[in-house]
Amino acid sequence: MNLRAWVTAARDAVRSMTHSPLMSLASMATVAVSLLVLSVMALLALNLKYATSTVEQQVEIRAYLCTAQVPNTKCPKDELKEDQKQAIVDKVKKVPGVKNAAFVSRDQALEEMKKQFGPQKDILDDLDGENPLRDSVKIQALDTNQVKVIAEAVLKIPGISDANYGQEYVDLLLAFNRAVNIGGAGLVLLLIIATVLTVSNTIRLAVYARRREISIMKLVGATDWFIRRPFMMEGIFLGVVGALLAMALTGYGYDRITTYVNLNIPFLPMRPPGEVLGNLTLALSLLGGALGGLGSLVSLRRFLKV
Amino acid sequence: MIQFVNVTKVYPNAHAPSLNDVTLGIGRGEFVFLVGPSGAGKSSLMKLLYREELPTAGKVLMEGKDVAKLKDQDVPFLRRSLGVIFQDFKLLPERTVFDNVAFALECTDVPRREVIRRVPAALELVGLRHKTHSKCQELSGGEQQRVAVARAIVRNPVLIVADEPTGNLDPENSYAIMKLLSDVNQMGATVVVATHAKNIVNQMKKRVVAIEKGCIVRDEERGTYGYES
Repeated sequence: MNLRAWVTAARDAVRSMTHSPLMSLASMATVAVSLLVLSVMALLALNLKYATSTVEQQVEIRAYLCTAQVPNTKCPKDELKEDQKQAIVDKVKKVPGVKNAAFVSRDQALEEMKKQFGPQKDILDDLDGENPLRDSVKIQALDTNQVKVIAEAVLKIPGISDANYGQEYVDLLLAFNRAVNIGGAGLVLLLIIATVLTVSNTIRLAVYARRREISIMKLVGATDWFIRRPFMMEGIFLGVVGALLAMALTGYGYDRITTYVNLNIPFLPMRPPGEVLGNLTLALSLLGGALGGLGSLVSLRRFLKV
Repeated sequence: MIQFVNVTKVYPNAHAPSLNDVTLGIGRGEFVFLVGPSGAGKSSLMKLLYREELPTAGKVLMEGKDVAKLKDQDVPFLRRSLGVIFQDFKLLPERTVFDNVAFALECTDVPRREVIRRVPAALELVGLRHKTHSKCQELSGGEQQRVAVARAIVRNPVLIVADEPTGNLDPENSYAIMKLLSDVNQMGATVVVATHAKNIVNQMKKRVVAIEKGCIVRDEERGTYGYES
């Protein structure tokens, strides 16, 4: 297959598209809308996965020390002294599976909270200088799967009233992630079918417009692939342009959203646009091209039977 | 070169077969007229040759190979070895004479250099060199059929199949086209022509095969048309 034949096929594809420009534009727009939803789904799934893994990495156990303010049968009546607190931290460090344990005073905890709240830290001013938080030990596990076992072991140490870990949030996030993945897969399948049908309809019209030419091609001995080539190119072109249109909109939207989130909800982890949009554009263009090519094949199959 | 062996062709929903147990041999370099009333089965016979149709029963052999048994992907290569001419020319009217003839070569990936060499030679042979850059829709019927002949011969086929090539032409142009086909035959190609052109058949004194109701009723060397037109 020589270069000239490809050039001829490309010229025929362009000629066909300019012959019915409205139809081509409508087709590109429809493909773009399908792929737009698809790219939004992809970004949602990517970010959920990112959030889950980030939260998983951040899973830590907070063991709260006894305090007279919160009566607990496990606790002594008197406030713990500094050396007792240090002894508790040392005991925690010796629990198997613990990577690191650090004492966090209630004042430090309040400061951390202020930092996390960012621009909304004014809410904390309503506390009127009271600090409702308790002294705690921040524990990191060697293995995230071990947090539950470690938490149970830590609870047995005298002087510790209770222990929290974020496993329930991780579980919730994982469940949500699964739901989005399954629902998304169904939606993606539907959109893929819609895209193929859209392109195949456009190509069917193009084939119909050139049916005389095709019948002559067949008579003079053109192979099916030779006949398919310009239509495949047209389909692939429609798919790729549709994908690029979709990505232009998605890219703009995602950029705006991440900027907003970073400013206003800083603790919500999101993949930076620069990190994901390039690959997503490439993937979506390939998908758009493949679906466009497939759409052409679908409509040509019937016409080429002689 | 061509052999029809007990060929029957029945179209779906047809009352009677278009071809009924036809056996016919055509040798290399022959010129054969197929004559007979409309609907007798002439076109069906020709369609079997370029495999637009498959026989319901029997064999169509071309150079010893059963055309019906060709794989789909081999059909284009069969068609490249023959030239087909139709009553309605089957040209691309908005394209030039050159483009129409070149089309047969370009569709089969013949290099551009070769196209530029062969198309003018074919146009010269049919006497249309001076119309190279005219659009086909601007030509007369006779000229358009000559373009179709040029397209059929441009790849030097071993067989030319012409299905009523003069059906749309006046007597003068009809004669010119038949003369052209005869010239191509002189150069070595086998030519099979289905026609109703009584005078030309009578004048040219070639082999005549008559078909009626799907059966061969007459096969004469240097024959005549034999029907009232």
